Amino acid sequence: MAERRLTNVIRTLRFHAGEMTQAELGEKIGVTRQTVAAIEQGKYSPTLETAFRIADVFGVRLEDVFRWEEAG
Amino acid sequence: MAFREKIAWLTLATMLVAYGIYFGFVGPAAGFGERRLLDIVWSFGIVAAAHAVVVTVGAIIIAVTATKDAQARADERDRAIARRGATIGYYVLIVGMIVVGVVMPFSEPAWRIVNAALLAIVLAETVNNAVVLLSYRRGWHG
Repeated sequence: MAERRLTNVIRTLRFHAGEMTQAELGEKIGVTRQTVAAIEQGKYSPTLETAFRIADVFGVRLEDVFRWEEAG
Repeated sequence: MAFREKIAWLTLATMLVAYGIYFGFVGPAAGFGERRLLDIVWSFGIVAAAHAVVVTVGAIIIAVTATKDAQARADERDRAIARRGATIGYYVLIVGMIVVGVVMPFSEPAWRIVNAALLAIVLAETVNNAVVLLSYRRGWHG
């Protein structure tokens, strides 16, 4: 089975949301700024609940934020 | 760097220094309690108390310099990383306790058993903090 990893476009979505900061996003979804940074960098896979919260903040669908892509 | 990551760095660094001093210098100087078991209480107790004081003071300094981070509750990533560290540290502790409580009593004197138990606890805590730090640094994918 091909190796896959979770990628996301949160950085882009923050940019389009008036340069929302990581701290502001973190406050809205109930995690720390460092955790938002870790999610953006692909260093942490959020829980499904947090993933839905992120999509809610930007008013988009879950699959518009996260993708399950082949690595490399 | 996350507040809890800084605390883990502080705990790990001071732990390595403090218990390195005990097992490298203070313990041997006190004969590891070979003559009098009570010597272990004094020698290890002083090192453990000094370690606790340094960690407490260090944690206060870190909290004062990053008040907002310090006041933030642990989020899902902090909790997941803490669970991972505690789980792996627990296995180290269990192995240590089996050696100390099941194997050593058949052949070793009390002072060695006590010191081995202390070493197992220190190793388990060290592994716990090292896993926490690695998870913060290299990422966590539950």
